[in-house]
Amino acid sequence: MDQWISFDWEALGANFWSATVDGLTFGGIYALVALGYTLVYGVLNLINFAHSEVFIVGAYAVVFTLTSLGFGPSVPNLAWYAIAANLLLALVFGMLASAVTAFIVERVAYKPLRAKGAPRLVFLISAIGMSFVIQYLIFWWRGPNPEPAVIMFQNKPVFDIGGTLIYFDSILIVSAAIIMMVVVDQFIRRSKLGRGIRAVAQDPDTATLMGVNRERIIVSTFILGGLLAGVAALFYVMKVPSGVLYLGGFLLGVKAFTAAVLGGIGNVRGALLGGLLLGLIGNYGQILLGSAQWNDVVCFVVLIAVLMVRPEGILGSNLGKVRA
Amino acid sequence: MALLEINNISVHYGRIQALHDISISVEEGEIVTLIGANGAGKTTTMRSLAGLLNLSSGSVTFEGEDISKLPGHKRVVRGISLTPEGRGIFPAMTVRENLEMGTYALKERSTVDESYDRVFELFPRLKEREAQSGGTLSGGEQQMLAIGRALMGRPKVLLLDEPSMGLAPQFIKQIFSIISQVNAQGMTVLLVEQNANQALSRADRAYVLETGRITRSGTGPELLADPAVKEAYLGVA
Ligand SMILES: Nc1ncnc2c1ncn2[C@@H]1O[C@H](COP(=O)(O)OP(=O)(O)OP(=O)(O)O)[C@@H](O)[C@H]1O
Ligand SMILES: [Mg+2]
Repeated sequence: MDQWISFDWEALGANFWSATVDGLTFGGIYALVALGYTLVYGVLNLINFAHSEVFIVGAYAVVFTLTSLGFGPSVPNLAWYAIAANLLLALVFGMLASAVTAFIVERVAYKPLRAKGAPRLVFLISAIGMSFVIQYLIFWWRGPNPEPAVIMFQNKPVFDIGGTLIYFDSILIVSAAIIMMVVVDQFIRRSKLGRGIRAVAQDPDTATLMGVNRERIIVSTFILGGLLAGVAALFYVMKVPSGVLYLGGFLLGVKAFTAAVLGGIGNVRGALLGGLLLGLIGNYGQILLGSAQWNDVVCFVVLIAVLMVRPEGILGSNLGKVRA
Repeated sequence: MALLEINNISVHYGRIQALHDISISVEEGEIVTLIGANGAGKTTTMRSLAGLLNLSSGSVTFEGEDISKLPGHKRVVRGISLTPEGRGIFPAMTVRENLEMGTYALKERSTVDESYDRVFELFPRLKEREAQSGGTLSGGEQQMLAIGRALMGRPKVLLLDEPSMGLAPQFIKQIFSIISQVNAQGMTVLLVEQNANQALSRADRAYVLETGRITRSGTGPELLADPAVKEAYLGVA
């Protein structure tokens, strides 16, 4: 009898290492986007639902930049350093576009409500509304279809682990994600802005008494989250060249948000852990169950399970939310 | 000219009026204390001075300048430092990081090391706990940290909201003696207390706040001797 659900352990065994590498690669992208959710949650106690759109605007900027530089659906015929320079330019525009979007979201959707002292539910509705507005602005401008694919470089295997080829893009994305996390973590710990962010997260009134300008910290946090989403956008286009469409942010954003909660929302290290774990879980699940549609299902089942056992996430929320 | 002057201020929470037209002045070098029952409006007064609450009317002047409209984070730069009720320790920061937060607004960084030495001298306990997170300190240690953190910013006036609240007697004694010591070194202090006896005996001048109005004022000894104050706040029938 045909079962509607079956576990293909053989497939998982055969593809285990490539699934691991691929899972970590997507996980790195989730983690970079998850940081934006986590940082804003830290200072405002608010899930910025429009962060998924902050991300996808960056992806559009990456695609537009590369297209205008002559990139397209076939592998560019350029020297490696020319490609690197072009990608760097696309990265800069992606980060700028996302950061500006994040800034506008803050200005339009949250700042006026803060000035009025609106209740939390209103912020949530405003966040969701902002997300839809940006999605449908993009839809209205670009239509329902994805942008034509942009191939950045000829992806080559760099080394071989027991028969599994490890490709250049995976190495680049995973190492960049980890480096970015370390940089952000240290930045939050050591820089003056980072201290301000932590102070506002732990006790906003006392932060003011220390001379911290809360409004400025909030805006900076949105911009920081936007810059990181812009980095994620470049890697996303690298990995999913034809995945840039108006709904693309939503689909990835839900995963990134899940990753943030899984690791412990408000926790910078939790975002990395949650992202990488979610990438792995989704990929293993998808191979085990036989089709890509299962990826999301598996991720959310795991999320629900984790939240039932440990609602504060794996590492707990420690940007400062833990109150004595 | 007084260092800090509160001129006929009123403050509301929504429709509820918490302060009715109150005036207080603090001269340079003084300890001024504000006593009153629960809910009298002491914390409201302090938060208004620190810029955490808006005035409905009246004004606050500091060094002769109207600062009524100045946002809270800028008042710190001018030299007004509030140690809030409940202490406001950042729980996930270490003792050292909490002290460092006290210097956040300081432009002049050359004296910061000296400030650490001074604070650790006043509160040797904080030195021992330097790497411990603020949230794990005892109430008394947290109060020391809160005062130490305020001193790190080298304020011109120190506002203390119930520093003795919830502390064991030996800690209360220590906190009050530190306040006198800091004042003797030239720090102006505005002190809110329920521990009226201790506060009045150390104060140069004092005000009594009742349901949002100043009902009495005078020198510390005057109020200590005042029969109405004795009955209401000093537990003497
Ligand atoms: N956030 C608020 N919203 C509404 N009313 C408030 C708020 N904070 C204080 N009040 C009211 O304002 C009045 C003064 O409160 P305040 O906290 O200033 O008193 P207090 O003298 O500091 O009292 P305590 O000795 O208990 O600390 C009280 O009636 C209180 O209920
Ligand atoms: Mg009070």
